[in-house]
Amino acid sequence: MEQSNRKSRHSGEKNNRSLFRRTIALMVCLGILAFAPMVHQLYKLQIVEHDQWEQRAANQQTKSMTVTANRGTIYDRDGRAMALSATVYRLILSPLAVMDSVDKNKYVDDNGHKDKEAYEQALEAKRTLIINGLVDILGLDEETLWKRIQRTKSAYEEVALELEDEEAKAIREFIQENKLANMLYLTPDSKRYYPFSSVAAHVLGYMAENENSGGRKVGAQGIEALYEDALSGKSGRVVTSRNAYGMELPSGYDMYFDAQNGYNLNLTLDQRVQAMAEQTLAEGIETYDVQKGGFCIAMDPSTGAILAMASTPDFDPNSYASILDPGLLSGLEALGQTVGTDSDEYSAQVSAARNKQWRNKALSDTYEPGSTFKPLTVAMALEEGLISLDDHYHCSGVKTVGGWPIRCHKRSGHGDQTLTQAVENSCNVALMEIAEKIGAERFWSYMMDYGLGMTDSTGIDLVGEEGSILWDEETFKGPYGASALATGSFGQTFKVTPIQMITAFASVINGGHLITPYLVQSIQDDNGNNVYNREIEEVRQVISESTSQVVRGILESVVENGSGHNAYMSGYRISGKTGTSEKRDEQDNDDVICSFMGYAPADDPKVLVLLAYDSPKRSAPGSNYTVSGTYISGGNITAPMAGKLIANILDDMGVERRYSSEELTAVDTTMRSVVGQELTAAKSMLEKAGLRCRTIGTGARVTAQVPAAGVSIPGQSTVILYLGDERPGGEVEVPTLKGLSPAAAKSRLEDMGLFMRSAGVSDYTDASVSAVSQSLEAGATVAIGTVVEVHFVSNVMDYDVANKNDYGWER
Amino acid sequence: MRKRAKRDLTIEQQLARGPIDLPFLALVLLLTAAGLIMVLSASYASAMYDLDPNVKTGGNPYYYFMRQAVFAGLGLVAMFVISKIDYQRFRWMSVFVLGVAIVLLALVLTPLGRSGGGAQRWISLLGIRFQPSEIAKVGIILYFSARLSKRGSQLKGPPKKWNKRTVIGRVGAFFDQIGLLELVPYVTVLGIVLILVILEPHLSGTILIAVAAASVLFASGIRMYWFTSGAALFAVALVFIITQTEYMTARINIWKDPFIAPQGDGFQVIQSQIAIGSGGLLGVGLGNSRQKYLFLPEEHNDCIFAIVCEELGLVGACIIMILFAMLIIRGYWLALHARDRFGTLLVVGTITLVATQTILNIGVVTGALPTTGISLPFFSYGGTALVIQLAQMGMILSVSRQIAAPRAE
Repeated sequence: MEQSNRKSRHSGEKNNRSLFRRTIALMVCLGILAFAPMVHQLYKLQIVEHDQWEQRAANQQTKSMTVTANRGTIYDRDGRAMALSATVYRLILSPLAVMDSVDKNKYVDDNGHKDKEAYEQALEAKRTLIINGLVDILGLDEETLWKRIQRTKSAYEEVALELEDEEAKAIREFIQENKLANMLYLTPDSKRYYPFSSVAAHVLGYMAENENSGGRKVGAQGIEALYEDALSGKSGRVVTSRNAYGMELPSGYDMYFDAQNGYNLNLTLDQRVQAMAEQTLAEGIETYDVQKGGFCIAMDPSTGAILAMASTPDFDPNSYASILDPGLLSGLEALGQTVGTDSDEYSAQVSAARNKQWRNKALSDTYEPGSTFKPLTVAMALEEGLISLDDHYHCSGVKTVGGWPIRCHKRSGHGDQTLTQAVENSCNVALMEIAEKIGAERFWSYMMDYGLGMTDSTGIDLVGEEGSILWDEETFKGPYGASALATGSFGQTFKVTPIQMITAFASVINGGHLITPYLVQSIQDDNGNNVYNREIEEVRQVISESTSQVVRGILESVVENGSGHNAYMSGYRISGKTGTSEKRDEQDNDDVICSFMGYAPADDPKVLVLLAYDSPKRSAPGSNYTVSGTYISGGNITAPMAGKLIANILDDMGVERRYSSEELTAVDTTMRSVVGQELTAAKSMLEKAGLRCRTIGTGARVTAQVPAAGVSIPGQSTVILYLGDERPGGEVEVPTLKGLSPAAAKSRLEDMGLFMRSAGVSDYTDASVSAVSQSLEAGATVAIGTVVEVHFVSNVMDYDVANKNDYGWER
Repeated sequence: MRKRAKRDLTIEQQLARGPIDLPFLALVLLLTAAGLIMVLSASYASAMYDLDPNVKTGGNPYYYFMRQAVFAGLGLVAMFVISKIDYQRFRWMSVFVLGVAIVLLALVLTPLGRSGGGAQRWISLLGIRFQPSEIAKVGIILYFSARLSKRGSQLKGPPKKWNKRTVIGRVGAFFDQIGLLELVPYVTVLGIVLILVILEPHLSGTILIAVAAASVLFASGIRMYWFTSGAALFAVALVFIITQTEYMTARINIWKDPFIAPQGDGFQVIQSQIAIGSGGLLGVGLGNSRQKYLFLPEEHNDCIFAIVCEELGLVGACIIMILFAMLIIRGYWLALHARDRFGTLLVVGTITLVATQTILNIGVVTGALPTTGISLPFFSYGGTALVIQLAQMGMILSVSRQIAAPRAE
């Protein structure tokens, strides 16, 4: 017993020792060691990876809403909005919310089991309600909607974009009426509007998504693209804290980052001038059956400010992908009928047509400038003192250069001519002789000075500008360059862009300053503060002021007496140079570009216009006439159109007309009242005012007159005086005047009691002058005494056309 | 009791009126207070949005806090009452506690039990809804401590003599020698309880009861090789389960990289780590948690420590962990100084339970351990659990009363 007691005490002690040791072990393990990995883990999460977790937390705990910045407006020079943004809405459908809105648990049958069929019916009914509503209100495609509403995992389906206020309102009502708030909702968006649709489309550009824009529309061409950063502004953000269900927190912290609206641009472009330029292009293309469109640039030659820049075919930036040009459309239609509209070939043609209509020919295409280049050559020689106005040139119709006979366009030759006459006649032989004097070396260096080098661009603020295509410099300056120099003197065998050409031409007439053309005059921020103002940028002085003055004199004479005759508009003092250039690089066709480079007023140019039509259709292969019978040349096709355009632009700019003494006879006078006077006294009064008269009826006193006192009529018009009981009759029909000479047209109108104001060529005696258009349509009924404006042009018949192979280019 | 008290107090009774351990009491009160405050902060959003379908908070953001505060009060009262009881009485009470626990565990499995979250773990008695497994923890610890404290000499007189002539006798003697026989009653009792808990099913409860029981067995001097072999067996079983059952493999994979299922099983882990990670060094400030706004599931239950980390930062979390560590260390210190083996084992079992729960919970929340649903003592929302925890603290305090004052030298 004692032993066992001892033993048990011993074992008890042993037990107690092990109890002690083991408890200590537990204490160390659980009280200290076990916490170490926890602390380590916390340190890792809270200190090492803190930023990462905080970012994650912020991502899910905050709701960041983008506040879109308003895109700036683009104004023309008179403050007309050419491109502006407005709020539209996009409609989002959440198929997930639609499904969740029908509670599965509500559909139980009598036994308490879930009634799957009833549930599905209810869901179907809900979906049908939504889809029918959307189809009714917005006319969306029902089939697509069904497909999308069944994507039940999605909470974001954009079912409609760019909804206008009215549609958005209807949708809102629909949502409210049917309690669809979570399932359908509208988010604001911004849409670009171009109020003048296709006017200045190429200059303004359009808005489209691209691969880098992240689903946002950005400027894709023109001003919109180049000034994207300035226009787009900076979008802002509102950050609100939210709970897991997206609700805002009671003690939410909000942060606002204001959106910064885009800047507004003020263009040098004049919307009205632009519209006129486009109108002129369209008219010419229709009248002369032009095959490949055309381009037109109007610029202030002394500043480089672009007033208009048009290119045909064009497009409507409001729906930039639609093809509007009738020529492109009819081609596509024909193709669609033969190969079908769903064929690859058709869609390839559609995209080709789009690229064609988006292309700004005035900026991105090159052409051979032809005779419009001649003033540049003349200016080089004058500047170098190689020629003078007194020089005489003899043209036999052909000149042999480097072993090649190069013909003048008039095969019989122009004979003896002064320098001015040579330019008036657009004589190639004379120009080749001048170029010979200049020499290749100097000619080349002037080309560079004019900014016509291959790597030169004018620096205009548009995207997509191309450079010229010139001869190889070494060959040109070498022994085999003679023919290149010869043909280059009259603007063939090299190509420049229209904008390069007009900029170089501007330097010739503005006193020799090569300036950088530009479109954006100033940039304003949202509050109307100017942040940028464009100043005139002179690249270099190419020729002297005095040379420029001499060339201006020659060019004025070209319109007064020479090949630019048809550009004449009385009172505007238009000067310029025509050009009919062949396409040397397109051997298998005889297409020509008919252009006119003109400016006015002659002594102080306010506007310089380059107008060109590419390939008027020949009535038959080899024929020199259009289908409508116009001789195909810059002088016959383009000059009259350009003359009218320049006159209109000057009117728009408010440049006062100035008439020469000859022109003055045709200037309007104000009719004075002669009623009640003796016939003889009345006659002498009218004569003094430069008017003629005829009488109707018998009597000694004038009892009535047409036109009434105060009406302004052209000088030398014949007014009608009524004698005795005769009274002016009511209305008359406007006769057809087309093709009539000015004298014939005038007498025909005056016979009917109408008056004629002539535009264009004013030489009444020239039989080659005929009416091409009249301000009042033939057949219209007008009151007696109405003034009809008639536009006359002369048909220049004596110019022969040559073909490429005998180098007989130019007119 | 009262009748016998007419005489002068016995030595035992005098001892039972000794001072309670103030450091331990202070730590318990501190943790309970901190836990209450965190419940208020963490449960604010979910109470306000009233999103738990089983609880009708009526949109009162203080709903959970109020209830928890009431239970904390009850628990503290229970703790003081129990600390006044001479813990020697727990020896005989242990049988009843265990018995009641087993009966209740069995009842849970009958239709009387209440289910939630796919398991039947709750039972309602007298209008109080609680988990019998909580009582089973107490019962097992009490019963094992009471029985194991009499191990060896104190157990029923001389050891049994085995008749070595029979096979049974020889086998019995061998088993006795290697200490297997003495394990039989414990294994049986523990087996019954664990099976009942597993049937609920309640994996984390099972683990905790097993760990608490094992700690008592361990401290009482059961031979080490039983533990090593038990641990080895457990490890093999664990590896088998992890590699062979899809459910556990998925769980482990989620643990290793929760981002493979950010909206599924990984959600809670990710949200918990976002809460902790975004807290940083100093936290977003008490009450300023944003993760509690319905991002973090179980934010006032199992995941409340993540909110602690988010609001109080690494510094605050470490302070809380230090409080826990001090409580644990002080607990074991009390165990070492307890008057007898029963006191020691009782405290070891109880403290080990608290420590295991704390470590597993923090481990899960921080992503150091794979997910199991273990609540954090004193912090997690749950009335009866808190009352029982405080009652257990009361038992430890009761043991601390009978610690002899250090001799004045």
